[in-house]
Amino acid sequence: MEKQQFLHPKVSLAHFFHYRSSSVFVVFVGLVVLFSFFSHRRFISGGNLQILLALGSEFNIVVLGVGILMISGEFDLSVGSIVVFCSFIFIRLFEMGMNLFLAGLITLGVGAILGWLNGLITVKGQIPSFVATLGTMMLWRGMTLLLSQGFSRSFDVMASPTFSRVLTGVIGGVVPVQIVWFAGLALALGLILHFHRFGNWIYATGDNKNAARAMGIKTDRVKTICFILVGVLCALVAMMQIVRVSTFSSRVADGWELKAVAASVVGGTSLMGGIGSMVGVVLGTLIISAIENGLVVLRIPYFWTYTVFGLVIVLSVLFSRYVEARKLKHISKPSETSPGET
Amino acid sequence: MKADSIGESRGVLVKMVNIHKWFGKVHALKGVDFEVKHSEIVGLVGDNGAGKSTLIKVLSGVYLAEEGEIFFEGRRANITSPGDARKLGIETVYQEQALAPNMSISRNIFMGREPTKALGFMDKKAMDKASMEALRNIRLDVASPDLLITVLSGGQRQGVAIARVLHFEAKLVIMDEPTIALSIKEAHQVLEFIKQLREENISVIFITHNLYHVFPVAERFVILGSGEKIADVEKKDTSIDHLTELIVREPSRL
Repeated sequence: MEKQQFLHPKVSLAHFFHYRSSSVFVVFVGLVVLFSFFSHRRFISGGNLQILLALGSEFNIVVLGVGILMISGEFDLSVGSIVVFCSFIFIRLFEMGMNLFLAGLITLGVGAILGWLNGLITVKGQIPSFVATLGTMMLWRGMTLLLSQGFSRSFDVMASPTFSRVLTGVIGGVVPVQIVWFAGLALALGLILHFHRFGNWIYATGDNKNAARAMGIKTDRVKTICFILVGVLCALVAMMQIVRVSTFSSRVADGWELKAVAASVVGGTSLMGGIGSMVGVVLGTLIISAIENGLVVLRIPYFWTYTVFGLVIVLSVLFSRYVEARKLKHISKPSETSPGET
Repeated sequence: MKADSIGESRGVLVKMVNIHKWFGKVHALKGVDFEVKHSEIVGLVGDNGAGKSTLIKVLSGVYLAEEGEIFFEGRRANITSPGDARKLGIETVYQEQALAPNMSISRNIFMGREPTKALGFMDKKAMDKASMEALRNIRLDVASPDLLITVLSGGQRQGVAIARVLHFEAKLVIMDEPTIALSIKEAHQVLEFIKQLREENISVIFITHNLYHVFPVAERFVILGSGEKIADVEKKDTSIDHLTELIVREPSRL
């Protein structure tokens, strides 16, 4: 309507690049095209997309929480361990013969408590969350190994077909229900992050904690709630995983913590907090799962995966930095009052 | 004399009486009396460590004084937290600390006090409209309420912080070194904002080292030195040179 011209230039490409997530989108599209071309379109075949999204959604859902937590200015390196610990709790409850929906509720509660503990240690103990969750990462993975003795345990999908269908069903024989969970959660969390007052508090807390506090925002509570969110999402994913593979394994979700941070960063989330978006986080995590899957489809040895991850992370961050710098120049030129820093 | 002036507090907005504050063994405020009248701009000046910031933090609820009383609009006020002060209508604008740089102007102005529609979702239209109105009131012209704080100049940022307190109907605005890191042009802009606050019948306490900035806008000057009030003079009875002399003459006791 009365948008200023220098903010929304008529040139459509520049308009497109006004959004930080747009450069992430370019990377995503580039990868999809690349993988599709070299795999002779096997990458975008229905079968592969189904696998990619069903499997990938488990990790992607965790990233939604990690991304929001990073916007609030904190890290959670314990996500993989929360997943495995919650898996163990859930399998034990199953073995006890508990109603699976009740067991699921309890598992979500345990996830919430583990997230709350991370928040408590970080906020009340005034320990950087990087360190606090490094500790709980080892603690919960270690506890799980101790309790399970490293053995796998099996889960019977037929114990409650309804429960299994809710978490891992296939809608209309085509759409894996995990995608619906991922998309639904992304949408709901995106609405809260960008349009709810709590979302505004998350950004304020991550961007300038002192200012947020001075304006009456309870930043400690905001952070703790973000930690709890991550814990709950991890618990949900733990159950999805168990139902999908019908097994508990103490190796599950190993290495997710840094992959989740990488996905958020590739999606344009700042390591310092205060910057990021739900669209960016979603694209970032899709990029990470696309790479993992794409390399398999291209029949490139698994050992290449992390090399490619590394390259994509560094290059995509450099790319978005470049786009960002050009955008700033673009904005500040006509307004004649450019900030000192770039 | 104390009791008298409280009794006939017509025109006096805030009155601090015999304020004492210790930090461990350091006696930071030694029984300071300080008052601000309705829509008055008071310059609070003094050298580093004179107690200016301490006094103001007592008033804004950041510190609790060990001794002394605060009266707001004639009534005894119990200020124990920044929230208490804000409820009374006392707002503080800190240099550069009050804004989130990567958030938009309107999100900053309403930070922590967002107007909402159903279920706590923000009423963005109302936020944008009120933001532009508040900015217009202090004659700050910006292109859009969606601009991020990072792209604004230092003076404009101060303007946004001031517009925020204006919108929330503050009665007293405390400005702690609002011109400190600004260019001459930007500092001038901030001084204009401060004059606009008075037009809106808001009282201002302007804390600064820079007499050249405070002198043209303030009506009265209170000088602190080593935790005591050295002088309290109307502008008509003083000059920049005179004020400088008062500050410098204060014997430094270490």
